[in-house]
Amino acid sequence: MSASPPTTTNAVAPVVRARGLVKRYGSTSVLDGADVTVLAGVTGLLGANGAGKTTLLGLLLGLHRAQEGSIEVLGLDPSTAGSEVRARVGYAPEHHLLPPDVPADDFVRHLAEVHGLPSSEATSRASDALWWVGLGEERFRPLGTMSTGQRQRVKLAMAIAHDPDLVLLDEPTDGLDPTQRETMLELIRSVGHEFGISVLLSSHLLDEVERTCDRVVILDGGKVVADGPIKELSGTARGVRLEVDEDPTPLVAALVAGGYPAESDGLRVTIGQAEGADDHDALLRVVRDHVADAGLGIRRLEPQVVTLEDIFLGVGQ
Amino acid sequence: MSAELSVDPAAPQAPSARILERGYRRYDGPRRGASGAARSVIRHTVQRCLGLHRPARAKVFPILTLLLAYVPTVIYVGITVLGNRLQRQGVPGREMVNQFIPTYASNYLQVVLAILLFAAFVAPEVLCPDRRTGMLGLYLSAPLTRTRYLVAKAAAVLAMVSIVTVGPPVILLVGYATQGFGPDGLADWVGTIVRILGAGLAVSVLYSAVSLAISSITSRKAAASAAFLALIIGLPSLLTFLVVAGGYSTTLRLGDLFTLPYEAVFRIFEEPSPFLVAGEEELSAATVWAAYAAWLAASVGVIAVSYRRVQVTR
Repeated sequence: MSASPPTTTNAVAPVVRARGLVKRYGSTSVLDGADVTVLAGVTGLLGANGAGKTTLLGLLLGLHRAQEGSIEVLGLDPSTAGSEVRARVGYAPEHHLLPPDVPADDFVRHLAEVHGLPSSEATSRASDALWWVGLGEERFRPLGTMSTGQRQRVKLAMAIAHDPDLVLLDEPTDGLDPTQRETMLELIRSVGHEFGISVLLSSHLLDEVERTCDRVVILDGGKVVADGPIKELSGTARGVRLEVDEDPTPLVAALVAGGYPAESDGLRVTIGQAEGADDHDALLRVVRDHVADAGLGIRRLEPQVVTLEDIFLGVGQ
Repeated sequence: MSAELSVDPAAPQAPSARILERGYRRYDGPRRGASGAARSVIRHTVQRCLGLHRPARAKVFPILTLLLAYVPTVIYVGITVLGNRLQRQGVPGREMVNQFIPTYASNYLQVVLAILLFAAFVAPEVLCPDRRTGMLGLYLSAPLTRTRYLVAKAAAVLAMVSIVTVGPPVILLVGYATQGFGPDGLADWVGTIVRILGAGLAVSVLYSAVSLAISSITSRKAAASAAFLALIIGLPSLLTFLVVAGGYSTTLRLGDLFTLPYEAVFRIFEEPSPFLVAGEEELSAATVWAAYAAWLAASVGVIAVSYRRVQVTR
């Protein structure tokens, strides 16, 4: 895939910056003081069903207003400059409902025109976008005759045909089989990394966010509970996991007395860093010495690495 | 889009070249903004209603309705041609034609079925599928606002219904004029054209508004069309019964959407209403226009409330 370098997305300034978002429907609070920052590249918006992901996308598009808080999308406030924001944003909704008797090419071309492209440009870009997502030969087929996977690809083509600066994808792999899913994620990676279009990928599937995105925003109960580069949030050694050959109670007591948070589960012991410390090698030496002092044999000793799943499940509890 | 061509040097013939990759390029040309978006929606909607870029079965209804609207008008124009030929043969053809051909106002009653069918089926076709298929959400995630979307859709419906309310009298005018039955003098011409446009729009606007209002309540096209026809045909029957048999006031007829737009048309052309039953008192023009405005306002209100409630994403 050839691509000219990004021209319109500022690599430093946040693409989306939202502070203290509160959105309620009646007595139901969907977003409750959420702070969200989305930078250039591919960002995952992760959360369980009902966590407020789709509501957040609606707020970013200016389709409804937050009761509290502020939002900037591409430097604009969607509540006052909604049309300008939406002209520069591509959106692929979660639902698979599309007009069944409209050919894919007409559908994508029309929505590119609605996003402001002149007719001739919309026609050529719609055709090219459909080729790019792998529907070149199928582009004149009515949408109603297409499979779920093909319709998902049509939605992606529709979202990028007008060359937006930001694309919002709501559950873009919903209903796809593993092969189609991998293809779709590869296309999304290309959009974010090669075309210079920032992507906010909303999903409840952890592994697809982990494999596709550079950064992640995790929503739970209407709040952002984690936000940052995936490499920083996960993969960090935060402690030590140990398995010994005899009762580790004396070892645990000694570690706790030394200021190291430790707890045992049978013959397994989990030891965290002492307060204020972050040297993982030093922690390993301390654990080794305490095990030797306790006269125990080591069956297994490994760093306790935090995964995105730990964060996701941790916040879900 | 950039294209890379791979050509096999051993086979210099053109067919050996093929596109391997179409690539992607950024677009930094002009964008047409919200008004361009609205124009695109109008064009796309009109094309859909006419069955363009759609399967053949989608073209059947508009073609039949257009035939219903235009064939009677063309026949009347043909009669004027025939009348002139008879006149040239010494037969008083023009007098016969004058007895037979309709006025511009009464011509509406010849094409009433086409107008009703268009109004009953166009607005549901325009609004209902957008909510049913999720297109509304896609439109509103573009530069369109709800108001702009509705104005664009209403303009498309108005344009469509006007094809059968403005087109036939215009053809009649041209036909009458070329055969010597038309307006005489510039003032008469201008007056007739203004009345034709005003009358056509009066019918289009009211029927479009009512049909859009009904279509804004349901996402099912068939239900919206049936409800519109029931309101236009069923309600007048009840009101006529109440006025004629029940002795209620003639003003009750103002709820009759079948005749109300044509009452307005006959007032525009300053012709007596053809809907009066013997002994009935004719409604004043002000009363007719007040009822017209009330129906219009109620329809716009229903549309506004319905679309304010529509949730696009949540």
